[in-house]
Amino acid sequence: MIELLIFAVGYAFLAILNFYRLAKGPTAADRMVAGDSMDILVTCGLMLYALFSGRGIYLDIAIISAMLGIIDTMLVGRYLDRGRWLDR
Amino acid sequence: MILRIIIDVFIAAGFIFALAGTKGVIQMPDTYCRMQASTCITTLGVLGVVIGAALYAFCIMGSPATGIKVVVIGLLVITINPVGAHAIAKGAYRHGIRPEKEMEIDDFRRDFDE
Amino acid sequence: MPKTKFPAVVSTFILCFAFWLLLTWSLDTQELIAGAIVSLVAALFCARFFIHDKAFWFFRPARLGALIAYVFVFLGELIKANVDVARRCFSGCTDVNPGIVKVPVDLKHDYAEAMLANSITLTPGTITLDIAEQEGKTYYYIHWIDVAELDRDKAGEIIKGRMEKWIRRIWQ
Repeated sequence: MIELLIFAVGYAFLAILNFYRLAKGPTAADRMVAGDSMDILVTCGLMLYALFSGRGIYLDIAIISAMLGIIDTMLVGRYLDRGRWLDR
Repeated sequence: MILRIIIDVFIAAGFIFALAGTKGVIQMPDTYCRMQASTCITTLGVLGVVIGAALYAFCIMGSPATGIKVVVIGLLVITINPVGAHAIAKGAYRHGIRPEKEMEIDDFRRDFDE
Repeated sequence: MPKTKFPAVVSTFILCFAFWLLLTWSLDTQELIAGAIVSLVAALFCARFFIHDKAFWFFRPARLGALIAYVFVFLGELIKANVDVARRCFSGCTDVNPGIVKVPVDLKHDYAEAMLANSITLTPGTITLDIAEQEGKTYYYIHWIDVAELDRDKAGEIIKGRMEKWIRRIWQ
């Protein structure tokens, strides 16, 4: 089924679009949000590519990617929490 | 053939919601609205792909191991992701990141700001 | 630090072992033994952080049925909110009116509060920022993308929808 490959490439393209916010975002939270969504989109793309190529190893990589991305987000969130009350 | 069309419809619906979330992440005016838009990616964007992929693995490929793994990935993302979203939102607010336009109603600032 | 209880260890072990079986998907003897050992060690170390209350809470037909019904209720709310936010995104991203509201919540159980907070965060358009307890009552601070109602109680009715009622039925 060629559609799986097309959608996988589409998800990868969306992840690249999110890279704009990752590079530009004025604050750390913006960058982290963009990084989190890139991670999820890459997971979806890997899942579809695993089905297309019929090799299960990509699914394991997708599981690890999803887990690490979420831990990552939580870590940066806790780090930002320690800041002072600043008014911008 | 009908099954393939159903699978395509599920994956395409997920792709449309992911596209909407990406557009929101790029274009929304302030940080918190961008977070809201990124939630769109992590819920229905993932759910559509997971349902389509699980149908493909169970019915066309005929390998239950792959299908179970796909479903596990979906459950994992759906159940753990709100914790990260909550942590980053609270951290951003306590760090002092405010939207440029004043919010209409802001109880958190009223209760905790000095 | 809370003490490790035996039922908590047993239920955590069952959960870990089921996860192992789902991921490996084979009934080979060596893999089963390795999975049992790893699950036992993980359960011994993690049970006291994981389960504070009754370990076998969901092993009753009424609660399990309510949980399964809640999944469908939640899916309905999820699709409604998703379509709303996607419409805002596609129509130029200027149709937003953000604000943070303080919403009263009437739930007894700690796990129920966490479940409702996560459900609210997972629906697009609302993010739970913090949980506060004042004078014996619980309040959520919720960032809302479109403040349609300035009164706190009515805003809570709109945000929580039918979810609070079903969660109260699960954790009664």
